[in-house]
Amino acid sequence: MNKILAIAGVVIKELYRRKDFYVLFVLTALITLLLGSVNFFHDDRIARYLKEICLLLIWISALVIAITTTARQIPAERENRTIFPLLAKPVTRAQVITGKFLGCWLAVAVALAVFYLFFGVISGSREHAWPVLKYFQALWLQWTMLAVVIALVLFGSVIFTSPAENVTICFFAVLGILLLGGHLNTVALGQKEPARTMLYTLYFLIPHLEWFDVRDIIIYDWPRIPWLDCLLATLYAAVYVVVFLFAAWLVFRRKVLAT
Amino acid sequence: MLALLFGESRQLFANHFFVKADISFHSGYYPSIFDEARQAEENDNDVSHPDEKEEPKSEGGFLGPPTDWIDRFGRHFRPTLHTHLQGGNIREILPWLRISAELDPHRIEAYTVASYWMRKHLGKVDEAEQFLREGLRANPDSYELLFELGNLYYDNRHDAGRARNVWLAALRLWQKQESGKGMPDNYSLDQITVHLAHLEEQEGNLDRAVEYLEMAKRVSPAPLQLQKQIDEIKQRLPRAGALSSH
Amino acid sequence: MSSILRTEDLRVEYRSRDLKQTVNLALKGLNLNVSAGEVFGFLGPNGAGKTTTMNVLLGYVKPTEGTAHLFDVDVREPIARQRIGYLPELTYYYKFLTVEELLRFYASLFEIPKLEAESRIDRLLKLVELEHARRQPIRTYSKGMQQRAGLAQALINNPDLLLLDEPTSGLDPLGRMKVREIIRRLKEEGKTVFFSSHELGEVETICDRVAILHQGELKVEGRVDDLMARYHCNLEQVFLKVVEYQPQP
Repeated sequence: MNKILAIAGVVIKELYRRKDFYVLFVLTALITLLLGSVNFFHDDRIARYLKEICLLLIWISALVIAITTTARQIPAERENRTIFPLLAKPVTRAQVITGKFLGCWLAVAVALAVFYLFFGVISGSREHAWPVLKYFQALWLQWTMLAVVIALVLFGSVIFTSPAENVTICFFAVLGILLLGGHLNTVALGQKEPARTMLYTLYFLIPHLEWFDVRDIIIYDWPRIPWLDCLLATLYAAVYVVVFLFAAWLVFRRKVLAT
Repeated sequence: MLALLFGESRQLFANHFFVKADISFHSGYYPSIFDEARQAEENDNDVSHPDEKEEPKSEGGFLGPPTDWIDRFGRHFRPTLHTHLQGGNIREILPWLRISAELDPHRIEAYTVASYWMRKHLGKVDEAEQFLREGLRANPDSYELLFELGNLYYDNRHDAGRARNVWLAALRLWQKQESGKGMPDNYSLDQITVHLAHLEEQEGNLDRAVEYLEMAKRVSPAPLQLQKQIDEIKQRLPRAGALSSH
Repeated sequence: MSSILRTEDLRVEYRSRDLKQTVNLALKGLNLNVSAGEVFGFLGPNGAGKTTTMNVLLGYVKPTEGTAHLFDVDVREPIARQRIGYLPELTYYYKFLTVEELLRFYASLFEIPKLEAESRIDRLLKLVELEHARRQPIRTYSKGMQQRAGLAQALINNPDLLLLDEPTSGLDPLGRMKVREIIRRLKEEGKTVFFSSHELGEVETICDRVAILHQGELKVEGRVDDLMARYHCNLEQVFLKVVEYQPQP
């Protein structure tokens, strides 16, 4: 476990020494504050549109950070040849994959915590309320969803040689699932065979990332989601994480790495 | 600036933000295009109650009953109750309407809907009037905007004279723009004339009220109800006529 | 003396990725045996199979046939790399880290206790003369400094066997001398050093034994003195004879 944590530590250091995260955070903060300063009919109690925009920016930023950070991990190790001294140590390839996953996931957690803190301050200043548990729930579910995304991108990074290719494919896959994943069953109903069975199969195979998007619950002040549902969703995500990481390891262990 | 940024696509965005206001009004409980398509298909197949097509009959509102465990469990993470914003919370739809109008100044509904909620539920009569006037600057020939402005003068400013002038202007514009059309906007004519009739009735001009109600009756979806009103006013007319002859 | 590094009938084939799947034989049944405390020079012209051998020993490439063992453990087992230090030909390190952080990271991969790791880092940075730059990111280092940082990382686990791939390539004369001094010191400490090099003069002065590889085959192996006596010439001339070098007329 120490070795996995050590590899994860390097990933985290890399994230906060690069500019990506800071740029995205500053952009999110600037756009939110700019829109927050707009006067809508002299009403300073309007909050939901600001919450909506801020959460949308957080979602986009977190996805960008997670996908781009993860996509470059293995290819950059190979391109910069840092993989060679790393694998010359008593480290297995499974530990490298797990360490990279953990590093990206924890790095995203740090980013999410900063983003949600900002969101809490912004919404609290408008609504004068701090539903901390509800915000924690949203953060947790988003972080859990990002675990699946990171594992998927890591799997992609051992298949595709170019990180740009991987980023593009994974970004479209994730967006596709978020926007359409939950509707595939409805679409399938209107199709003829074999398209119907194919769509249904896809519907049951893909990870339903849209579950983890609880922005509407936060924006429109709906009651908190039962904790048991959060736990079940977390377990559901964990299954996909294990599957993607296992697949990534299967491919990576057979990769010939010649100096 | 917005025109430069968005170009012709700004109308699409304006429409999106207008829908966003409606989503906000329903606190996020809103059908997706897939739900709408399925619902339309269900309604097409269901011929048992042709008059009730507007109301979703299936379990779970527009969502319908869950089709599988993924659908069922997924509903635990999003709004699944049909509600409307109440009281001061209605203010939450205003930014989307404002943005929609900024992006497409010819989107009349953005002005009228915002004005309605501001003057009726938020006590923002001045803001509503200012917003309507902005709309009129961009759409000087809009009878809908004039009608809403008349409502504001009548309901909120209690200025019947100005309300009458504005509604009459709206009526003239309607006649100029719509009367020659194959499918005129009868709903607006109904609204304008019924409101004018109500105003004239309140002001004691019963013959004029009858005149406007007769106009409304020709286009109204509920002509019988209007006829009843006409009859009621007419009962009062002879006395008024007698008084005036004296 | 006990065998530290051993290969038996090591054969490595590379298949091209095109449709023809052309087979390139990189190693043709290599047998090597390096004993504890030796400084072993691994020589050969470009493409002879030196790097492939290193790749097999480090577990990067799986042999097509034969076996390779480090400390009697199959090289495919990660534990085989517990007691080795590896210095690649070019410096491949995380450039956003400082040398101190890099060494700390590698120390944790060997599961060296924190206190022990810190004292080793101090000692190694002193040895490679990088104490003054310990908190600078590696990307700001000169090539020589990066090579010395590489040497420090190869020594972080106090290895019993050092695999050095062209350790002095690209260094200025001073840098080379420094590296040679370090190798000598390691030898005095009883460490085993296995290194590939094109600098035959350097090999002649440092190594106890050498092996010369040509076209994937082991041509000659033996003590430096013995080889020079057998061929009646210096190591460079031995090398040229073994690889059948024909000067252009």
